[in-house]
Amino acid sequence: MTSNVVDTTSHLRAEEARLARRHRIVTRLLLFVARYGTLILLAGMIVFFGVKAPSFFLTVSNFENVLNSASLVAIVAAGLTLTLVVGEFDLSVGYSTSFSGVVVVCFMSYYNIPLVFSLILVMICGTGVGVVNGLLVTKVRINAVIATLGVGTILGGLEYIFAPTPIVNGIPASFTKISLGRAFLTVPNPVWVMCFVLIILWIVLNKTDLGLRMQAVGGNIEAARLAGIRVDRVKLFAFAAAGACAALTGFLLSSLLGSGTIGAGDGYLLQAFAAVFLGSATLRNGEFHIFGTLVGVLIICLGFNGLSIINAPTAAQPIFEGISLVLAVGLSTVAQRYANTIPVGSQSKK
Amino acid sequence: MVLTLDETAWLKIRGMNKHFGGVSALKGVDLDIHSGEVHGLVGANGAGKSTLIRCLAGVIIADGGEVQIGGETKTIDSPRDSADLGFAFIHQELNLIPQFNSLQNILLGAPKVKRAGFVDWKASRRMAAAAAQRIGVDFNLERPVRELSVAERWLVMIAKALAHEATLIAMDEPTASLSVKESERLFKIINDLAEDGVAILYVSHRLEEVLDLSSRITVFRDGMVVETAPRERWDKKSLVNCIVGYEIQTESRPVYRLRSDDQFPVFEAKNVSRASAVSDVSLKVFSGEILGLGGVVGSGRSEFVRLAFGADQIDSGSFEVQGRPYRAKSVQDAIKSGIGLVPEERRSEGLLLDKSVMFNMNITVLRSLRSVAALPFMSEKLKKERANTIIEKLSIKTNSLSTPVGSLSGGNQQKVLIGHWLTPGIKVLFLDEPTKGVDVGAREEIYREIRDLAATGVGIVLVSSESEELVKLCDRVIVLRQGSIAGELIGDGISEGRIIEMGFGIVDADQRSES
Repeated sequence: MTSNVVDTTSHLRAEEARLARRHRIVTRLLLFVARYGTLILLAGMIVFFGVKAPSFFLTVSNFENVLNSASLVAIVAAGLTLTLVVGEFDLSVGYSTSFSGVVVVCFMSYYNIPLVFSLILVMICGTGVGVVNGLLVTKVRINAVIATLGVGTILGGLEYIFAPTPIVNGIPASFTKISLGRAFLTVPNPVWVMCFVLIILWIVLNKTDLGLRMQAVGGNIEAARLAGIRVDRVKLFAFAAAGACAALTGFLLSSLLGSGTIGAGDGYLLQAFAAVFLGSATLRNGEFHIFGTLVGVLIICLGFNGLSIINAPTAAQPIFEGISLVLAVGLSTVAQRYANTIPVGSQSKK
Repeated sequence: MVLTLDETAWLKIRGMNKHFGGVSALKGVDLDIHSGEVHGLVGANGAGKSTLIRCLAGVIIADGGEVQIGGETKTIDSPRDSADLGFAFIHQELNLIPQFNSLQNILLGAPKVKRAGFVDWKASRRMAAAAAQRIGVDFNLERPVRELSVAERWLVMIAKALAHEATLIAMDEPTASLSVKESERLFKIINDLAEDGVAILYVSHRLEEVLDLSSRITVFRDGMVVETAPRERWDKKSLVNCIVGYEIQTESRPVYRLRSDDQFPVFEAKNVSRASAVSDVSLKVFSGEILGLGGVVGSGRSEFVRLAFGADQIDSGSFEVQGRPYRAKSVQDAIKSGIGLVPEERRSEGLLLDKSVMFNMNITVLRSLRSVAALPFMSEKLKKERANTIIEKLSIKTNSLSTPVGSLSGGNQQKVLIGHWLTPGIKVLFLDEPTKGVDVGAREEIYREIRDLAATGVGIVLVSSESEELVKLCDRVIVLRQGSIAGELIGDGISEGRIIEMGFGIVDADQRSES
């Protein structure tokens, strides 16, 4: 009778251990997918489209094309990464890009301001927009989603004042040449600009004390405050940087289009968000970082490019974009959650 | 330890156990509660009163033991179970929805009058209003709760308990934020409720109140019930003796280090006040001494150190470091003046749990770790050097510099936080409950480090709820009570008993320990 009871309990215990083991394996697997899933996805997409349309997809000129379009998204997304690192949001970056694109063309064609000065002015404008966002969030304490959405919408309206119709006249040829040119090593200029911006922001985020402060603020705002970090200032910088990045993208976009067109950059908002979140699930557990953002941008742009090459229906692009956004946020959340459930001792010792 | 368990009691708690990690918060607690009694629960911080209440509330689940009502064993696995048994709980942070009015709050989750399957709101509101009337509520019940005073909110909470047909109401420090008059009104309501047959569990650090109100009082110590006895058997002294326990070990402690030539304090607070939390506190800290801040939870200790660090804003008063005042409005100024704070809630206020040990250790001194002072670039070498120095100095156990700090043990996490302030400019270090949740071994190491720091001339202010710790470490102890200084103990005059007596506000504390 008693031995029977013991048998049952030991059996139960074995069952429990088996379940625990299975749970651990599942957890590890999910964590692996969450951390490396984006890289696998990127490789998978290249293979898939390569097999489907080898003669179109797997060409140097096509990759150049992808990189060219990726570069604009990447600059916006890199700026956005900084605001997410400090734990905030910036929904104005898309509108800000469009606005800057219109304004910079205005400067040149209406006011005949030389190209370089126009660039400087529009960068100041964009940074200013970022500072306004930052002040609304840190000083007035408006929720970032609302504040930046409001500011973005206002910018969208302002565009109509500057350019009721697309501005095409009076644009200097030197301006349009910027995006189309290859100043160095036959790589398109926007790609160089992207590399430059990404490297700068990577250095800022990882190698400067400001960057470490930003990470601290995003990691635990109260701890950062009690460590003597001026939390508001750090956030303000992140917003300003996001604004500057959007302005630079607007400049390049108008140069590429050869016109100042209303709403031309609005779509960058969702793409950039999807990219940043995909990036946060890349190699790290839900932490936003510049390299990840680049991977995210490549996934999105390769996806768009591949879909159009294999003649997918028009509907496929927004559907792909929506799925990738949800998937990205999902992966990033899962990565974070499972990273927290795995006992760390078991990662290093066992 | 005489326990007379009454098998006829309405509510019987038997052998209740609860562990948090390796710490036993409740060790086989037995308790009887009768209908219609006011049962006072007292004990030092962490003695187990709150844990017991939280187990009854279903907020945490006991590891063992049972709860019987009328001889029937009940399980409490969730707050819902607890509410179904007719238990209501009123904590200091009142669970009211600020934008709802009183009636809506009272009705929230309460059984409602139904007619043909639909809620009869009119009748339900009448019922809520009746509950409020029963305790003599005289304010407009249609007003949003956020416009009510704290005392009025308490009444709403009690009415809510009545609307839930509560048979047991547990109150945690109900008078902490009430005026004398408001408190008296509450006491009258409590007595009325008891007369109506509601059992009241009254948890408080204010022993006079407990003695005034209760029909029976239970004393907790170290997770156990020391004694339950009728009110007549207690007085303030016997309660304090029971709370402290008779066997107070006096360990050998270092000789009081304050020298007579130390006229100039390294830190001084002058008439510091903030709202109701801290009122008119003035104190001095001398170089190389360890000053303890004692008192019960909510006496204003943590609030005071946060004010001194600039983490919260003072209403009036001033702070000085080495005779130079600093703006106590910004953490940056406090740090610049040489002040450091190891906050009480180390996980939520101190650490970046996902970040590495090195990252955490260096966040207070980022600027000084630049390769070139004028350029914003960090020197990897300096970062590593500093982190390694501190790891070695505090013997922090970590796999590597890049291990996330959240995976370290509590003691090592605490050491990382102390490491924040091992900078050349540190003059005063505030430590708020530095050994909370830290195992015994690491505790000793933290004590040693605190002594070492003091020996280098840093003024230490140690906030602790464990009187034992204050006795062991401090050269001087200032006890706070209800936001102001209740008394000061120096050198050999420091004892657990006196710290606790002062904390509970026993008037003749001085004469007692001298005799």
